[in-house]
Amino acid sequence: MTDAALPLQSEADQRAIAAIRRKNAVWRRILRDPPAAIAALFLIVIVGSALLAPWIAPFDPYASNMRLRLCPIGGARCPDFLLGADNQGRDMLSRILFGLRATLGIGIAAVLVGGGLGALIGLCAAYFKRLDQPLMRLVDVLLSFPSILFGLAIAAVMGTGLFSLVVALSIASIPSIARIARGAAQSIMQQEYMEAGRAVGLGDGALIWRYLALNCWPTILIYMTLQLGQAILLGAALSFLGLGAQPPTAELGSMAADGRKFLSIAPQVSTLPCAAIFLVVLAFNVLGDALRDALDPKLRQ
Amino acid sequence: MSTEPLLSVTGLTKHFPVKRGIVFQSAVGTVRAVDGLTFDVAPGETLALVGESGCGKSTTGRLVLRLIEATQGTIRFAGRDVRTLSRGALRDLRRDMQIIFQDPYASLNPRLTVGETLAEPLKLHGIATGEALRRRIDELLGEVGLSAWHALRYPHEFSGGQRQRIGIARALASQPKLIVCDEPVSALDVSIQAQVINLLQDLKAKLGLSYIFIAHDLAVVRHISDRVAVMYLGKIVELAPKRSLFARPRHPYTQALLSAVPVPDPTAQRARIRLAGDVPSPLNPPKGCRFHTRCAHAQDRCRQEEPLLRPLQDGDGAKGQVVACHFAESIVPPALVPENDPPYARRLAALRKLSAVA
Repeated sequence: MTDAALPLQSEADQRAIAAIRRKNAVWRRILRDPPAAIAALFLIVIVGSALLAPWIAPFDPYASNMRLRLCPIGGARCPDFLLGADNQGRDMLSRILFGLRATLGIGIAAVLVGGGLGALIGLCAAYFKRLDQPLMRLVDVLLSFPSILFGLAIAAVMGTGLFSLVVALSIASIPSIARIARGAAQSIMQQEYMEAGRAVGLGDGALIWRYLALNCWPTILIYMTLQLGQAILLGAALSFLGLGAQPPTAELGSMAADGRKFLSIAPQVSTLPCAAIFLVVLAFNVLGDALRDALDPKLRQ
Repeated sequence: MSTEPLLSVTGLTKHFPVKRGIVFQSAVGTVRAVDGLTFDVAPGETLALVGESGCGKSTTGRLVLRLIEATQGTIRFAGRDVRTLSRGALRDLRRDMQIIFQDPYASLNPRLTVGETLAEPLKLHGIATGEALRRRIDELLGEVGLSAWHALRYPHEFSGGQRQRIGIARALASQPKLIVCDEPVSALDVSIQAQVINLLQDLKAKLGLSYIFIAHDLAVVRHISDRVAVMYLGKIVELAPKRSLFARPRHPYTQALLSAVPVPDPTAQRARIRLAGDVPSPLNPPKGCRFHTRCAHAQDRCRQEEPLLRPLQDGDGAKGQVVACHFAESIVPPALVPENDPPYARRLAALRKLSAVA
């Protein structure tokens, strides 16, 4: 019994291990990947400015001034409006900041609710083998509906508005996350420690939470990040179609819809919100990919 | 057995259905993994289950703990009928009956610290909380030769032998009466094996445990067990006290198994019984005696009539040696490696010396 009497690692070893751990910390691995680092920094700036919109926005996004209507970027009529004015003479920069706030909020709420439900469904399907077929076939049914159609149906039932938009987007993000969670959980179910947990006498709740969920969350988190881009895009699309945010609410999708009539005379009114959506979705996708690489232990050097 | 057995198993059977189809599944056959086992374990006794891969040893261990539901048979543990226990009663059973797994790398939840893993049974069965919980964890770690500060570490920070001791500590946490050891050392280095085996023996002596020891290393079995049950294709073919089994194995399969023990001495001359062919599929086991397809002594009766487990009609039978062979009395046991064979004796002596030191 010699190895037990010795300390597990000497102090020097422990320092070396700590150094390796620091070097391999998830955020460091993300920063080593330039596109991911740019995406992460961009998202920090975007999310920060969306959160701080009421304080950093230079003007009231709802105060209209018809004399400044469709003022172009850098136009002599509106020297204070950095990104010009929209068709109601409102400051584009302020509206985009508030629009980001609404769009990101909708996307994040939808992915948290839908992703949470989806993860729960996936874990339960993997854990309770009897529920597997019924639950996953239900998920298949959800998956077979185009998301836009879902949005239309829910708007028809619940009326248009931000709440029904979040509901529609949540339901739309359930199926893919449920499938990913089930796949991850099924591989954990094969592990001997699941059996060990049962042998200890743990109940289903403890096994699902402390054994399954705790071991699957990296996979689920990565997928939720990727799904966030999808949810934002879909939310903006539904708002563009007039099913989500209603005017005058500043929301990127509905702003893009409002501005499309003036595309030839004042392109900034429609293209700037579109560009904002594009960049945010792109950043989330790049970050999601990088997270997947960073959290996958097989890809660590 | 003069005392009431701690565990008694009668006619234990597990058939796994083999399914085909994706949505509409239909059973196309059954794997007879365990087919009518009867044995018992006395308090403080170590019963070894030996046999080659796929003979149903591990399944038996899991059936006894009800980690897998049996198809048929009864399992009585300390006066309780294990197979009919309710959920709550089953949890209480898990307090008294524990398991140590084969693979120390797969049997610990990688996301829980060692302390959290050990706290689970203690909290669940209401054994300790708060400060007492911490003290009990320290005590358990000490009992298996680890230090208190190991509680804050994660399983991946330990070596295989250390992890297996964590697994043992987890099994000990609820102070069980019976521990099923499912090949607890076969994934470990030989040097670590001896430590773990001797730890198990010390704990048995100290805490009055009973073991069901599933193994295929016969030297280990010879060292640790009191009685040995030899399994072949889901059935017990021979069950005997350790000494009589190793001295005079009576079932042809046991004889073959014992003659396959490697002797680390190139000059040793010994009778090696070679079995031809593979183990038949448990999907479709042979009629009559299941071993007749590979048995050198097989006769017509073996192909027709299934031999039941019966006491031997001679001196060994009186000592509790039972065997499932029609011709056990007439088959002459081959000359096996005697216990005083030098290399074998050296290894056995080393094990005994280590256990004396520890």
